[in-house]
Amino acid sequence: MRVRAVLLLATISLVCLLLLTLQFRGYGAGADDVLAFATTPIQAALARINRTAVGVWSTYEDWKSVRTENIRLREEARQLRIDALRVTEMAEENRRLRRLLALKEALPLATVSGEVIAREWGGWVRSLTVNRGRGDNVTRLTAAITPDGLVGRVVDVRPGASVVQVLTDPASAVGAHVVSSRTPGIVEGDPRGTLRLKYMARDGSGIQVGDLVVTSGAGGVVPRGIPIGHVRAIDDRGSALFHYALLEPAVDFSRLDALLLVVGESDRDLAAAFARGG
Amino acid sequence: MRTFLAMAVFGGGIAHATLGPALRIANVAPDIPLIVVVLLALRRGPEFGCAAGFVAGLLQDAAGGGLLGVQALTKALVGFGIGLAGVRLSVTQPLVQVPGLVLLTILEGVARFGLLKLVRFPASFADLMTYVVLPQALYNGFLGAALVLALAWVETARERKT
Repeated sequence: MRVRAVLLLATISLVCLLLLTLQFRGYGAGADDVLAFATTPIQAALARINRTAVGVWSTYEDWKSVRTENIRLREEARQLRIDALRVTEMAEENRRLRRLLALKEALPLATVSGEVIAREWGGWVRSLTVNRGRGDNVTRLTAAITPDGLVGRVVDVRPGASVVQVLTDPASAVGAHVVSSRTPGIVEGDPRGTLRLKYMARDGSGIQVGDLVVTSGAGGVVPRGIPIGHVRAIDDRGSALFHYALLEPAVDFSRLDALLLVVGESDRDLAAAFARGG
Repeated sequence: MRTFLAMAVFGGGIAHATLGPALRIANVAPDIPLIVVVLLALRRGPEFGCAAGFVAGLLQDAAGGGLLGVQALTKALVGFGIGLAGVRLSVTQPLVQVPGLVLLTILEGVARFGLLKLVRFPASFADLMTYVVLPQALYNGFLGAALVLALAWVETARERKT
């Protein structure tokens, strides 16, 4: 066995040395050609395999980088969406506060601005808690307004907060009149969360759908001329003494986050201020 | 046997052609055919190692476009030598594998340089050893050890299965 191996090694060595000698003396072209004839297809096949392997590898690398890039871009897009929402939210808040400030400056009354810090929105009670209380000269029955119109009245004053009864509260009642016809009535809330203008004399009321209803200032609690809502429907009960109208509130109570509390005298007509500020 | 030889040698060639560029670290590529020849010689003895070394070396000579027979001879010598020494070595130990392959690569490099010097090879021995042979030897050592361990693991798994 070992002899065979030594013989093989000797043969191989001889062949190699012969090849080298031939090549060195310039006769290697023939051997080169013979070997090239055998090796070229193999080399071509290996090159193809190499290209395929490199291709597969680069595809994998590309896929990996695309995946990483995708994750990074998704995160960036998510962050940008959050930023965009934040900017939109801030712009909207800015707009609301600017309107509130404009109203505050336009009003011929002393007011304090308040931020809504809590809401009670069940069928029994509809109220907002504002971060202004006794220390801010807020008293019971203080009117709460926004640039869009009347929100309601303060029904409970605490050291650092007040509870505003919203117009749609079932226990709320405010003296009002229809601007176009001066028809007086009382705006009340109900458990369904709607507003009704009640106790309008049937005869000669002349009320139309779309008419603006504002506070009448009766009783001296709420200033006169603050928008309450527009007439959405009229319920004419035939022979009844009074009829009533369903109102679309001027204020969107559900989206309210800041308002003004009228802390001074309230026997003024604010219609002009609302025509400008609202 | 011939099929196995062909598969092993061509497998080494394919690995050299495909994995070689991918495995290049700081411009140093491993000599995969040499590792394959060593592994074959250790398992099959000097005759097989010599034949495998000749074929693998000849293919590398042809692929490289250099003098035919240089690597064929050096690798045949390596295959023969390691085939003879294999029975006396505990080659399952990484402490033997890594320095063993490093040494074999250096010996093969020295032998190749000697042969090429016969045909007036211009490069200096020191440069060749510092920048080509020694880095490749180290690389071969670690790669070969990893291959030996991987093969041992595969064989153990196969034995457990059967």
